[in-house]
Amino acid sequence: MTALGTSSSASTPRTVGAAARPSHRRGTPGSRGREALTGYLFIAPAVVLFAVMGLYIVGYGFLLGFARWNGFAPHWDWVGLDNYADLLWRDPVYAPRVHEAARHTLYVMIAVPVLTVAVSFPLAVALARVKRAQAVLRSVYFLPYVTSGIAVFYAWQYILQPDGAVNYLLGLLGLGSLQEPQGFLGNPATALPTMIVVTVWTEVPVAMLMYLTGLQTIDRGLIEAAELDGAGWWRTQVSVVWPLLRPITAIVVLLTLRSALHGFQTFLIMTNGGPGTHTDVLGLEAYRLAFLSKFAPTLGLAGALGWMLFAVAIVLALINLRALRSRV
Amino acid sequence: MTTHPAPAPSGAPGTPGAPATKPAATRRIGARVLIGVLLAGYALVSLYPFLWMVSGAFKDQFEVVRGGHLIPEHPTLHILTDTWNRLHFLDYFLNSLKVTALTVVLTLLIYAAAGYAFAVLRFPGRAWLYRLFVALLFVPGVTVLLPIILLEHNLGILGTHYGLVLPFVNGTAPLSVMLLTGAFTAVPKELRDSARVDGAGEPHIFARVYLPLARPALITVALLTAIPTWNEYLLTKVSLNDESAYTLSLGLQQLSAQNVPQYNSLMAGALIVVIPVILLFLALQRYFVNGLVGAVKG
Repeated sequence: MTALGTSSSASTPRTVGAAARPSHRRGTPGSRGREALTGYLFIAPAVVLFAVMGLYIVGYGFLLGFARWNGFAPHWDWVGLDNYADLLWRDPVYAPRVHEAARHTLYVMIAVPVLTVAVSFPLAVALARVKRAQAVLRSVYFLPYVTSGIAVFYAWQYILQPDGAVNYLLGLLGLGSLQEPQGFLGNPATALPTMIVVTVWTEVPVAMLMYLTGLQTIDRGLIEAAELDGAGWWRTQVSVVWPLLRPITAIVVLLTLRSALHGFQTFLIMTNGGPGTHTDVLGLEAYRLAFLSKFAPTLGLAGALGWMLFAVAIVLALINLRALRSRV
Repeated sequence: MTTHPAPAPSGAPGTPGAPATKPAATRRIGARVLIGVLLAGYALVSLYPFLWMVSGAFKDQFEVVRGGHLIPEHPTLHILTDTWNRLHFLDYFLNSLKVTALTVVLTLLIYAAAGYAFAVLRFPGRAWLYRLFVALLFVPGVTVLLPIILLEHNLGILGTHYGLVLPFVNGTAPLSVMLLTGAFTAVPKELRDSARVDGAGEPHIFARVYLPLARPALITVALLTAIPTWNEYLLTKVSLNDESAYTLSLGLQQLSAQNVPQYNSLMAGALIVVIPVILLFLALQRYFVNGLVGAVKG
């Protein structure tokens, strides 16, 4: 859901600002007070829900990060920053697991944005040139987003099996040497790259549509001018179109970074971290600490890890927004 | 395939400097073939899991474990009907429908009102509140999962469908607020002013003037809410205990939790889950694309 959200976040301050500026209507203090009251009444339901399901929840998670609790004991034991220290270096059980999960998460955070841009930009450029089949192809490319959920991940699991459809296709194409007799998720060497491919597959639709939309907003005159100056097609794409679409690339990178950092549903359903711990990621680790540790007092650890993920997300968003602003 | 003149790969006429080593016609055909291969290739990548989902759903027990051909040798509807009947899929289906419908309706009611306030009404703290809603976008799901469960346990709504709907609605807040505020901002101010001159109150202007004009944005938000809600798995999994409350995602998960996953019935179940949401998307995709265009353009 949120995937599409940031698409406009870069422009939102402008939206509100633009609405605010011409609004200095003359009004008596009374009518202005009445308008403010109406305003509060209109946003009251959203704010109440936000206060409970947003602010309270996030604050609760933050506090929990400083406590030791198993979910059943009547009260929390305050342990200060112990949970953070245990996760980052101190605990002999959790720290190595977090390190390995962090390494995998980092691979995913590098590979997924790069591959998503590398696939969706050329795809959008190609699609923009097609007239008749465009609507149909766009729908086809969008299926992975529309169906993104447990059903589709089971389908992936099915085709990645040892005697599954991916090996079958490789055989048909004469690429038998690339087949995986253990299945792509069963071999420790291919499991994480395979999960990255599946993640990219779910991220491409939105990125592609955003590029396609961006391409349609580019002034035709600019491209014609470049071609009149003797730039070939490739040259035009690389030196004119790509730089013009940089704001969209920034948004795509932000969205894919976010899902690479937070997303673990695909991993939970398809590999559950396996084989061994070869596809363990931080989100999955936090989920296990929160829900799968029976009576062990790990809920505080889960809160701390969740908050670290939140902090990284905020830092990434700030860096990305700054980069975006400096370019435009 | 392409009729658009602008980015034609042939050196445009009157460009003597272009390295036109090959005849322009050959190059144009070459570019077309390249584009065709790229587009068709990714269409296959995009569809491949679905093709096998359909294929698997129609294979019998023996064929499905043999792997091999996409087209089943002895296609059977039996697996599909059997899966539907055996696993209370109708109940799960109705539960999914209930959760999704409630989430969509509440989202539209709550955030249309909020978007109207953000777009046209002046009140102190407006810009600040707006930013707070958008910032919610960066909170990771896994960070809030546990606190939501603990809070709902205390409120006594854990395990009910309302316990799912409320966090879902709040989760749509950033996107819904942004899209609807944008749509209401685009409505000409004069319409509101003239309605006020005619003596209409704020609720009347909202319901009779702004809501009808924002219909495309409302449909976009409904679609963007319905799709992920229908597919939701994580919060549903950790919230629901009672099988009678299960949604389709959990029903499907139950199928795979059997000792030996039967991929034909798993694919049949998967097909039942994805078909409604694909149909919904195909019916309303015009709004989806336009809504995204609006979001990108700001």
